[in-house]
Formats: sequence, C-alpha cells, structure tokens
Amino acid sequence: MAAYAWIIPLLPLVGYIFLLLLGKKAPEGFVAGVSTILVLIGLGLSLGVFSSLAGTDGAVTYTWKWLSIGSHNIDVGFQVTHLNALMLVVVSLVSTLVFLFSLGYMHKDERFSVFYQYLNLFVFSMLALVISPNLLQMYIFWEMVGLCSYLLVGFWYFKPEAALAAKKSFIVTRIGDVGLFIAIILLFASTGSFDFNTIFQAAASGKIALGFISGSGLITLTAILAFIGAVGKSAQFPLHVWLPDAMEGPTPVSALIHAATMVAAGVYLVARLYPLFELSQPALTVVAWIGGVTALLASLMALTQRDIKRVIAYSTVSQLGYMMMALGVGGYVYGVFHLMTHAFFKALLFLAAGSIIHAIDTQDLFDMGGLRKKMPITFWTFLAGALALSGIVPFAGFWSKDDILTATLKSGHPVLYLFGLIAAFCTAFYIFRVFFLTFAGKPRDEKRYEHAHEGSWVMTLPLIVLAVLATIAGFFNSPLNGNALEKYLLRDAGDAVVAGIPTTSPAYLLGHTYPANVGLMALSVAVGLAGIGLAAWRYANKNREITVPTGEGNFLYMLSYRKFYLDEIYYAIVVAPGKVLAKISDFVDRYIIDGIVVVVSRLVYVIGLGLKYTQTGQLQTYGAATMLGLFVILAIALFRQGGVF
Amino acid sequence: MHFFASFTGSMTAFLIISVLIILCAIMLLSFRKVIYMALAIGGVFIGCAAVYILLGASFIGIAQVLIYAGAITILIMFAIMLTNHEAQEPPTKWSVKNIIIALGCALLGVALYLAIRHQTWSAQGTTVNQSSTVSNPVAIGMALFQQYTIPFELVSLLLIVGLVGAVILAQPRKEDEE
Amino acid sequence: MPTLSIPPQSLLTLGVILFCLGLFGALTRRNIIIVLVCVELMLNAANINLVAFSRLGASPNLDGQVFALFTITVAAAEIAVGLALLLAFFRLRQSSEVKDMNQNKL
Repeated sequence: MAAYAWIIPLLPLVGYIFLLLLGKKAPEGFVAGVSTILVLIGLGLSLGVFSSLAGTDGAVTYTWKWLSIGSHNIDVGFQVTHLNALMLVVVSLVSTLVFLFSLGYMHKDERFSVFYQYLNLFVFSMLALVISPNLLQMYIFWEMVGLCSYLLVGFWYFKPEAALAAKKSFIVTRIGDVGLFIAIILLFASTGSFDFNTIFQAAASGKIALGFISGSGLITLTAILAFIGAVGKSAQFPLHVWLPDAMEGPTPVSALIHAATMVAAGVYLVARLYPLFELSQPALTVVAWIGGVTALLASLMALTQRDIKRVIAYSTVSQLGYMMMALGVGGYVYGVFHLMTHAFFKALLFLAAGSIIHAIDTQDLFDMGGLRKKMPITFWTFLAGALALSGIVPFAGFWSKDDILTATLKSGHPVLYLFGLIAAFCTAFYIFRVFFLTFAGKPRDEKRYEHAHEGSWVMTLPLIVLAVLATIAGFFNSPLNGNALEKYLLRDAGDAVVAGIPTTSPAYLLGHTYPANVGLMALSVAVGLAGIGLAAWRYANKNREITVPTGEGNFLYMLSYRKFYLDEIYYAIVVAPGKVLAKISDFVDRYIIDGIVVVVSRLVYVIGLGLKYTQTGQLQTYGAATMLGLFVILAIALFRQGGVF
Repeated sequence: MHFFASFTGSMTAFLIISVLIILCAIMLLSFRKVIYMALAIGGVFIGCAAVYILLGASFIGIAQVLIYAGAITILIMFAIMLTNHEAQEPPTKWSVKNIIIALGCALLGVALYLAIRHQTWSAQGTTVNQSSTVSNPVAIGMALFQQYTIPFELVSLLLIVGLVGAVILAQPRKEDEE
Repeated sequence: MPTLSIPPQSLLTLGVILFCLGLFGALTRRNIIIVLVCVELMLNAANINLVAFSRLGASPNLDGQVFALFTITVAAAEIAVGLALLLAFFRLRQSSEVKDMNQNKL
C-alpha cells in the first residue's frame, strides 16, 4: 500500500492543472466538487497507507536517480515513515474538510476558481513535502508551500492590509529559510548526500566533520540552522510576527495553512530531523526554550486581542510553541501527537470563526454577542474546540497537552513547566473570552445580529466532523488504549536495525516516553478550569457591563494588546536602519550613479548634436567623405611601404 | 621620363588619343548645357575604344563603340530630353566643399601616380592572343563559353533584370495618373 | 603583331587621370544625369586598366578583357536602371538635382 503513496500528492496536482485548464469562469459547484473528491480519494489512500504501516518497522523508500554531480547522486522519490503516514492523514483530512467549507465561505467570490487552484497547489506541495525522502526535495516543496501561503494570504490583494500581510509573511519566513538552506548545504558538504537516512547514519557514526568544525559542533550548528527554518515556518518567537498578520487571508486558508498544515511543517521538520537533534543537547535546549517562551508570550498576547481571528492566530503560535517545547525536552511522540490533535481542534476553531464572520461580517469581538440562538451548530462545535484547546478532560487537547507538560517536568525543566502551566491558564481564559463574547449575553450590534444565520450544510458538516475529532482524537494516545499512537510512531526507530546501527545509539532513539501522572493531569485540568472560570466571571456575568476596553493607564493591558511592542521594536532595530540604508543607497543612486550616467548621456547627446550636421542626406557629401577616407588609407599604405616619395 | 625616349608609331598614336580623351573629359566637366555634356562623354567613349584597339583588344573596342558610344550615349540623351532638357549646370562654384573635393581628387591622383611609378614593371608584354592562329574575338569567345560560362549566364540574367526593372521603374504609377 | 612600345605606366596614368576627373565630376555636379555620366567615366578608367593589364601585366592573358566585357555589361544595366530611377524621381519632384534626393520618404 505504501508503494502507492506517490498518488496522494498527485491527485491535488491533477486538480490544479484541471482547474487551470478549465479557466476562471468554471461553475462553483463543479470546481469545488472535483477538488473535494480528488482530495477525498487522497484521504482514503492516506488512511490505507497509515494502516498498512501499523505492523511494520522502519520506512518504505522509493527513489530514482535524478542528477549526478561528480561522484554524488541526487535522488528524487518518496519515503513513507510512520511520522509521514500520520502527517498524510492529517493533511488530507483537514484539506478535505476545508475544501468543502470553502464552497460555502467563498461563495460568489469573483476569483472562486483561482482560490481552489491555489488551494490544490498548496495541498499538493504540502503532501509532497511530507513524503520527501531527502532534504533537497523537501526544501523545494518547503518553498512551494511558502509561495502558496503568500498567494493565499494576499488573495484579496486589493485590500492594502492583505497585500502587506502577504509580503510580510513571505519575507519573515524567508529569513528562516536562509537558515535551513545553509543547514542543507552544510550537511551536503559534509556527508555528500541530501538523503535523510544517509545523513543520520553519518551523524550517528561521527563521520560528519567539515573543515575545522568538529563532528559534534557541525551537528549542533546544522541542527540550530535547520531549527531557524522551523522558527520562521512555525511562527516561533522571534519570527512569529507574520502569522497574526496573515489572518488577512480568507478564513479557510487560515484554518488549512496557518493552523493545521503549513505552520506545522516547522514542527514536522524538527521531528523529521530528530535523530540529528538527538545528537546535540545544546540544539535541543534551544528548541525547548524557544518553544516555551513562544508558548507563554503568544498566550499573553492573545489575552487582549479584539479581532477573533487574531486571538486564534496567537493561540496557534502558542500551541506550536508547546510542540517545539515537547520536541526540545525529548518528548518526540508528544510533540507529534499534539500536532495532530491541534490540527483538528484549531482547524475547527478557525472554521467556526469563519462561520461566524460569514454570518455577521465582522471580526471585532465587541460587535458580536448572543449568537448562540442564531447559530446553534457553530455554538456547540466551537465549544468542543474551545474545551479541547483549554485541555479539559476528555477532549483531545487534554491528552496531548498533558503529555507535554508531564514530559517537560519529568525531563527536568521545571521553569519550562511553569511557563507551560501559565500558558495553559491564559489559553483557557482567552479562548473562553472569545466564546462568551461571541455567543453569550446580548447582541451588541442589533443590525448584524438580525442578519446572522447558520451556513449551509457544506459549512456545518466540516464543523461537526472536526468537533467529533476534537472530542475523541485524544484517545488515540491515551492510557485507555495503551498509548497506541506512541508505539506506532516509535516504530520509525526500527530503521536502526536496517541501517546496522546498534539501537542503543542515541541517533535512533526517538526521544523518551513518560507514563501518565494523575496528579499532574488533575493540576492542568484545574488550571484550565480556573481560566474558564475567570473568563466566565468577567465576560458572562450579568452584573458586569461589557465595554470596549480602552486600556488607558493600564500598562499590562497595553503590553499585551500591543503584542509586547515587538512590531515596534522590530521596526526600530530592523526596519528603521534598513530605511536609513535605503535612503543612503537612494542618495548614492540618485546623485552619484545617476550623475555619472547623466554626464555620459549628455556627452553622447552633445557629440550627437555635432554629428547630426554630417547626416545631411546629401549623397555627394558622403561620397566626398568616402573619397577622403580612401585617400588617407592609400597614403598610409604607401607611407608604410616606404621609398615612394 | 624614360617613356618619352622612344617615340614609336603606337606611342605617338597613344599620346594623341590620350590627350583627346582627357580634353573631352575636361570639356564634359566645363560645359554648362547638359546636352553638350552628353556629347562630350561620347568622345571619351570613342577614345577609349581606340585605346583598346591599339592594345590589340579589338573585340572590346568594338563592343565599347556599340554599347557605350551607341547605346548608352543615346539613352542618356533620351533621359535628358524626357526631363528638363533646358536645365543648365551653373558654373562650378568654388565653395569650401568643392575646393576640398578638388584637392582630395588631386591628392588621390598624385598618390595613385606615385604608386604606379614606384612599381617596377615587367618587360613589354608578349602577345597573348594574336600569336596563335585564332584572332582576338575567337579567343574571347572561347574564354567566355569555356572558362566563364557561369558568370556569362549570370550577366545575361543581370541584364534581363535590369531591363525589366528599368521598365517597371520608368512606368507611370497609378497614383501619379490620378 | 609587333611588341607594343607603350609603357604600362602611361596607360595606367591615363586611367588615373580619367578616374580622378570622373570622381570630381560625380561629387560636384548638380544634375543627376551628369553624375551618372561621370560614374561611367570612372568605369571606363577601370576598363582601361583591365585591358592594359591583359596585354602588359605580369602574366598577360585574356581574363582582363573578359572582365572588361563584364564591366561594360554591368555599366549598361546600371545606366538603364539609373535613368529609369531618374525618370521616376523627376516625375515625383519635378527636379533632377542630386541635392533633392535627401529623403527616404515621398
């Protein structure tokens, strides 16, 4: 079955080309139907691949020779590991639901067909990225998903904010990509291969030194450089600034790309290169701390945002931080597990937010309120997503988040554990702040409220499916079923046997696992409930008037609302010097380079002015000039010969 | 000036013919009426034909008389009659341009003359075409139809093209008639 | 036929004089017909050289005379086309002066 994995990314590519040929005027239902059915077939295949790997160890790899450079061969092909199989399922599932949802959400958009083209291209790139067998192929698709993200964030390019946000997301992620690219070059230079397994084997056996850099130094360097790429893609601190702005794109895009799939690619990259990270404790420490700090900071920023999508965006940044933290402290399976559950409940939250925005045509929380009666399905599904995000038993987020917190504490990182706990409290608070402001109380904007209605079945069905998954996905890896997913993922370590490396080598141990701890579970649930309680007391209390906060005189509020002034700080230390540099370049270009150019052009002009009088059109003048030239040539020839005169 | 040393009959004839040719050429340049100029060029052509015959190239000489002195001179006269035959060439104005041109021509002539004088020439040429049994026209005919067949055919093609082109160019155009 | 006593220098000098006179005329005369006539003069100067070399050159043979024949033919074609052009031009501009032939457009 795994041999047919290459078909899965091919299906959306076929869809893309088909829609491209069909043109812009194709009927909406047909466009969406074809796309959805193709991705749905892909989902079926993904599930087949996923289950076919259940009983086997190691990866299934198929490669073909692509290029030969000197003695190095560069291959293309695909590789299905257990991690890849899980990613295939997650990406296909979320894509299918988002494709369906978009039919309702993008209804009557002028560029409906183009939207589906981009989505198909994105899904193709993402699936191909997931099953890449080597770093080069992965990097190609890594850039392609970035391109699709740019196109889709800027889909409504006529809005200046959207165009700016698209540029910002492209440029900021590109900063990280440079790091990844350098890491790939370094790995190729030292091992002569882009292939994951070759690199891991070389790293594990210590044959990776390059020039004056020692083997372990090179592993740490490349791991951190690759992690910089992941930081850009997964919107980790300090490169997280692009993700909230990317919310200018259509909401289905936010759900698919900026919650479930592309931003998870950074986490996936670290997980894919985990054998390399395992060999370098400093790199793992960096990953853990960046992840922890991101989780805390982003959850604090989410507390005060007024835009419903921005709250969820910061929540995404924060949850991605959790995943990175899990990977950094050695909880490989927990990071990947959280990636999966997060994909479900965050896509759900985004789609529910999209449903709300579609109904009342505003994103400002303080224009909403009382929507529970008008939109019951959205209400219930959003509640499931919010509970899953808050980590309330037995919803999906509970199991994965609790695993991460347990692993963090047990691996000896109490400070990070505290960060995680605070972030969990904030998470519960901000998501229920959104929940109460949206659904509870009285409508604050009567006109919009009157207009509100539930979407058609194409919009509610994905919500219901995702709500079910957000409720039950946690059980895939709970003590109740013997941590099945954990065991499934750890089968990748079986590659060590194939490669002939002793399994005691750290390179092929995929992190550590920890047994569930009831005490810690209870603590995190209590923290989550406290957050919900605080939100309910503040925003669902009949005695407290809900007003638009001004934040005047409240330093902490402003700190959170203005995102710790990070955008301003970046502006001051990166953009402003850049502008000064640009001013200088502008001056040099305008007055010095252009000056030279102008002088040269004036010179040519003046010479031309003089020469213009020779172009009289008078045949005889030309003839006279020719004759004089002939005489000069003849005279020179005679003079050189000598003895004539 | 060693060539004045031996005044043979052919040399005398050549000198007389040369003087006539140069005289005609100067007349050509100094006449004011265009029609006289056309007559003067006829003199030059006939003089040239005489030089050819003097050199033993009798066929070229006859062809020169037929084509140049006959056809081309008449053609030029027709052209003059068809355009403004009253036109007079104004007396040569010795403007700066004309002085420069005259000077340039003179210098070019002097340079060429120096080049000719500088060269040492072989002994008097032997007869190439008269010694054998065949006469000059026969020898030329042999050369044309044996060695130079393809250029000969090409030249005939050129003449046809020139003929047709001249007819088309000289023909009144439709927009002119309207 | 006896050996010729005309030295080649004098024949070539005649060619040079004719050529320079023709060149001067072609560059200074105002009437197109005269310019064409002067060009014929220059061609004749070249022909004299060709025939002279055919008889008196380093390796005398008939090629020079054949070339002279071709030159005469080309000159005939040239004068025919040239005069036809002159007629067309005259019909267009009512002028047969070289200085009026300074435009590419009608």
